[in-house]
Amino acid sequence: MNWGTWLDYTVNGLVIGNIYALLAVGLALIFGVANLINFAHGSIYTVGAYVGWVCITHLHLPLLLTVPLVLLASAVLGVAIERLALRPLHNASRIAPLLATIGISLVLDQVTQLVFTPNPRALPSPLPDWRFQIGGGSIGTLDVLILAVGLGTAGVLYAFLRFTKLGWAVRATAQDMDAAKQMGVDTNRVNMSVFAIASALGGLSGMLVGMYYNNIDPGMSFDATLKGVVAQIIGGMGNVPGAIAGSLLLGLIESYGIALFGTSYRNLFAFVLLILILIVRPNGLFSSAKETPPEPMTGSFVARGKPLAIPRPVLVAVAVLAVFVPFVDSDYVVQTATNALLYGLLALSLTLVAGTVGMVSLGHAGLLAIGAYASSLMAIELGLPVTLSIALAGVVTAVIGTLLVFPAFRMRGHYVSIATLAIGQIVALVILNWNSLTRGPIGISGIPPLSFAGIPLYDAPQAYWFVLVVVVALALLQARVLSSHLGRTWRALRDDDVAARAHGIATDRYKAMAFAFGGFGAGVGGAVTAHLYSYINHETFNAQISVLALTIAILGGLGNITGALLGSVLLVGLPEVFRGLAEYRMLIYGVVLLLLIRVRPQGLLGTA
Amino acid sequence: MRDPSTLLPTRRALLAGVAALAVRPAWAADPVILGVSGPLTGPAAQYGAQWKKGFDLALDEVNGSGGGIKGRPLALQFEDSQNDPRQSVAIAQKFVGDAKIVAELGDFSSPASMAASPIYQRGKLVQFGFTNSHPDFTKGGDYMWSNSLSQSEQSPQLVTYAVRDLGLKRPAILHLNTDWGRTSKDLAVATAKALGAEVVATEGYMPEERDFRSTLVRVRDAKPDGLILISYYSDGALITRQTRVAGLTQPVVAIGSVYSPKFIELGGDAVEGVYTQSNFFPEEPRAEVQDFVKRFRARYNEEPDAFNAYAYDTILLLAAVMRQYGTSRLEIHDGLAKIKGVPSVIFGRVAFDVATRRVAGANTANMQVKGGKFIAWDGKPAIPRS
Repeated sequence: MNWGTWLDYTVNGLVIGNIYALLAVGLALIFGVANLINFAHGSIYTVGAYVGWVCITHLHLPLLLTVPLVLLASAVLGVAIERLALRPLHNASRIAPLLATIGISLVLDQVTQLVFTPNPRALPSPLPDWRFQIGGGSIGTLDVLILAVGLGTAGVLYAFLRFTKLGWAVRATAQDMDAAKQMGVDTNRVNMSVFAIASALGGLSGMLVGMYYNNIDPGMSFDATLKGVVAQIIGGMGNVPGAIAGSLLLGLIESYGIALFGTSYRNLFAFVLLILILIVRPNGLFSSAKETPPEPMTGSFVARGKPLAIPRPVLVAVAVLAVFVPFVDSDYVVQTATNALLYGLLALSLTLVAGTVGMVSLGHAGLLAIGAYASSLMAIELGLPVTLSIALAGVVTAVIGTLLVFPAFRMRGHYVSIATLAIGQIVALVILNWNSLTRGPIGISGIPPLSFAGIPLYDAPQAYWFVLVVVVALALLQARVLSSHLGRTWRALRDDDVAARAHGIATDRYKAMAFAFGGFGAGVGGAVTAHLYSYINHETFNAQISVLALTIAILGGLGNITGALLGSVLLVGLPEVFRGLAEYRMLIYGVVLLLLIRVRPQGLLGTA
Repeated sequence: MRDPSTLLPTRRALLAGVAALAVRPAWAADPVILGVSGPLTGPAAQYGAQWKKGFDLALDEVNGSGGGIKGRPLALQFEDSQNDPRQSVAIAQKFVGDAKIVAELGDFSSPASMAASPIYQRGKLVQFGFTNSHPDFTKGGDYMWSNSLSQSEQSPQLVTYAVRDLGLKRPAILHLNTDWGRTSKDLAVATAKALGAEVVATEGYMPEERDFRSTLVRVRDAKPDGLILISYYSDGALITRQTRVAGLTQPVVAIGSVYSPKFIELGGDAVEGVYTQSNFFPEEPRAEVQDFVKRFRARYNEEPDAFNAYAYDTILLLAAVMRQYGTSRLEIHDGLAKIKGVPSVIFGRVAFDVATRRVAGANTANMQVKGGKFIAWDGKPAIPRS
């Protein structure tokens, strides 16, 4: 490739990086002060885009009036989120606000979709489209405007943080909230200002990016959050100038990835590099180790508290009742119960690594995918009996999963979450691109049904009982392990891994054991799912499933086995109960989720 | 337990009954209900919304001038699956277990649809996948039927248009990296080769991607004389806009899924001159098409697209099957194999190939975007013959 071509790739990388920067700056600001990955940021970005759309295409307002309106509306939304959903959780734990932002994002996206319909809309730019030729391509007025807004806000933020009293208060709060409070800083006001500024910026970026592509739709928020989070991790969490540099770098990485390997490797290349960056410089490329805000010990990440003690007879009674679920004589109810149990398997696995060991994984769907493909391929290609292939798939998942997550063992808190998120994406992208093994996007069809001792289990009740036995067995095993010395060691790692190491505990080995145990359960869950569905492809186990799994685990109470199962029944069952509400059901589900977090921020059954 | 969701369709059926009062006295019997499993919320919700418009228009026709199904009104029970296999299997059990449901339509994507197929097959309830072009969909069993244009028909037709009619000799293909896009791409490459053209580059992209500038540099460097897009309207519009920015001026030939007013709205001036194909177009004189387009415009004040047309066609087809062969699950299954000559927007006349349970012989018109509208192709090649 010649020099001119590389120039084009570089320009294109900077152009898209420029767009990521708008998102990353807002996320970095909130993270810097509230120590929170704001999963609702992409939703505010979408709302901002739609506010801009209303102003321009319906009210026919000039851009000079539209911009302040978008800023104002998004800022008000940010303040409302902070005041209504996050501040009440302030003393709960750091995981509860994270879950709350997931819930807010769900609610905002649904509202946007209901108000503006799910159809994509054109958002034409009112600016004249002057184009500047660079290399083989060109950049336009909007590219320049986006760059100016990105750099401008970074500059204004820098000045604000350095030279104004409120800016000092923000920095003081970021460094040590309790000390700031003691010095008379109104930290609530600081938090609210930060949410207002970051959200205003998020809304504006939604509008600008919408104009850039002339295309906005209510489904664009998840991807926006994902890219923004990745960009700010590369730059160093909570580091505003770093976020801009990280975004440009992410854009360049993606662009060069396309240049070297082709479009379908774009994200794969980017996520692999993200993992490498996290291993080499876990504080991000542009943060020196000294300057980063202290990432708290995982112990404070997971809420402390006493789990709700459920008497053993009650548990036994529920288990016995569960056996009789198929006698309701509705295969629909039985199928939903089976789904809940399958999510239960995933949640058991996640609650172990996230709750008991303290490594909050955001890529758990990757484990399901490994188990599903392993079992399907063994059953189809090698002709193994399904029961055997499911068990082997559990082992394969345990091994591959542990090896994949191994680089994240040294990381803490949010960095683990981001690393596992990347690993989950990498698994899906490898499945997509490894055509000879996985048939790529065509997927695997004709997967044999569940069977036991050679008898196929076609009926919904049979499949249900099969899954119930697996779930109960694994739950009992997990409970037994947790009460043994192994469980105590895991909890010691979670609460203080420095102290644990000082006592001679080989932390990596114990974390590996947890992931192997969790990987087995998740792998079996994925395998059973594949045999129930008969068809899977790279989309079957997507990132939304990882988020749902984490939601279940946190809602049930991290580390709590009964809680994980209760959470699964609730979060799989509620959308079914709300079916009659048609388009409104996910909105109501989101609201119920937010209320549950509000009432029980430590999880329904408490952290174990 | 009374399921709350059954309240809605009943109420809807009542409304339909009230609306029909002007034409005929009240319905003498309970409605015939078709189950629909599809996305009303979630990332694919826009397609579910397009379905609904087509469905509702067809229901008006069936229950209005059509007089219902043997004196009974036709109604739908639309269950939201979010295009998620976990929910589509639960919906499948719900429909199979509900004796009122006589056949099922959907789901949208292959993972969601094909995960539910074993349940429909064992429950002996027809699963009619009208957007399911995955080659294995109807292989799920003899209760899986589809009138979706199969890729083995659509993709070669597009490439024939691009190569033989428009004169492309070195096309580059950009395709959605999904089961549909990948299968179409493979077929397109084979057809191009058979017609003596050389595909110089193929690039697969993810559905949520929005930035194509670097992809287009890669395409540009392969020196194609035209671009073939295997895309939906939203991503197709994004790519076409960016080709112009990336300095590509070659003709763009896009598959029929972009045939939607949204493609022109989202693409703006950049999609001017894009070639595409469609299974119907508003100026087509056939009565079915004229009727559909006229009523669609009147009701929604917009132009219909391919998703609307498939949804509309499907209801009319199943209504015809039920009128001729009966409304039991088995009668519908058997009727699909026997039915012939149903008027259709997409296919002229519908008849199934009993072995593949698919329909062949869609009408295909060559189109071009001119003056912000889809019009019939003027017959001039994009690349002058030397």
